[in-house]
Amino acid sequence: MSEKKLHEDQKYIDGLLKNNAFIIQAIYDKFVPKVINYIKQNNGDSDHAQDIVQDTLITIYNQASQKKLELTCPFDAYFFLLCKRKWLNELKKTAHKEVTINEEVLYKGDDAQELAFETDVFGEKQALFTEMFNKLGTACKELLTATFKIKSMEEVASSLGVTYAYARKKKSLCIGKLTELVQESPKFNLLNK
Amino acid sequence: MKEQDYILFENYILGDLSETEKNAFETQLKADSKFNDSFNTYKELSSFLEHKFENEAASTAFQSNLENISKTYFEKQDAPIKVIRFKIWQYAVAATVALLIGITVFNNFSSPVYEDFADYNSISLTVRGEQDALLKTAENAFNTKDFAKAEEAFRSLMLIDKDNAELQFYRAVANLELNKFEMAESLLTSLSKGQSAYKNKAIWYLALSDLKQKDYDACLEILKTIPEDADDYDEAQKLIKKLD
Repeated sequence: MSEKKLHEDQKYIDGLLKNNAFIIQAIYDKFVPKVINYIKQNNGDSDHAQDIVQDTLITIYNQASQKKLELTCPFDAYFFLLCKRKWLNELKKTAHKEVTINEEVLYKGDDAQELAFETDVFGEKQALFTEMFNKLGTACKELLTATFKIKSMEEVASSLGVTYAYARKKKSLCIGKLTELVQESPKFNLLNK
Repeated sequence: MKEQDYILFENYILGDLSETEKNAFETQLKADSKFNDSFNTYKELSSFLEHKFENEAASTAFQSNLENISKTYFEKQDAPIKVIRFKIWQYAVAATVALLIGITVFNNFSSPVYEDFADYNSISLTVRGEQDALLKTAENAFNTKDFAKAEEAFRSLMLIDKDNAELQFYRAVANLELNKFEMAESLLTSLSKGQSAYKNKAIWYLALSDLKQKDYDACLEILKTIPEDADDYDEAQKLIKKLD
């Protein structure tokens, strides 16, 4: 991959990651009004805008903390595209009514498109993984929760009253089960294209 | 996949395979695309779970902070819309009540306050790549509004770097927030007489210090000395109008 230059707006990503209240406030003051306008013009109201913005910021936070998120375009473009996509998805999900969408090309420059797309896929996967995790049986859920919280497999085993070998085998089988649930879902195949 | 495959995945990720087993595993990854897909998903889920549980506390803190900011922001946004839904007679009642309240507490309401004008943002003192723990402490404390801790860090920093205008300025702001006006004003006065980038900002904050102490005459005097090319000139003019 070619080395792309980090955009100065990376400070917004870093600020989110550090849970910096000033930066979060700045994002609302600077970038959110445009999102509210867009949603209001496209069959939504300010409650919808509030949810979409919040969801989008959580997705960005998760991606930044889990995978490293390096911004090579203005935050404005990236953030707006993400909110827009999320809103259009929301409309598709709920609306049987006529939807009029002012689809216009607001941003040129593929960096923003590409990054927004990546984050979007990341967010969808997170949601799917969480949904599938919740479908696991109680025993698996408990074991996996303990495993990833406690770290030491010996401790996990003794806290659950099983042997180390059994706990470790169970861990692989539970993640295996989760792997199957995820792979069977049609959504995953769409996302993994 | 068979049970044995998942156990193998886990052993491979944990690095528990012998050299021969590892080679065999990697050969199978290349040859068998279904095996490869399953392994990649398994790995992705492993890292998802790891993150989900490891960062639970940080992530919850972020979400609750975000929720608060979002709520406040949207309440402000929605306020005027709710007013519009009032009926005319409700306006009349509201106006009368407002007038009565206005008359009784006129003085309190008419005075502008420091909080409306102090507009400093979050700070970033550390240079990328340069790790200075004390700077980091100051920065984090300031940005989370723990001004007492920030002041402590600034004080130590200035022992090493006493001519740093940026440090002087933010130390002054921290002191203002703590109502330690003497300290704040001495720092701001020296900045306002200097030639740093913080010269005009310092004059503006000297005025805000008087505003916070409700010494409106002194505040006005200082405001009038803010030059037209200063960043805060417009804000200063606004404040002058309110005070006059």
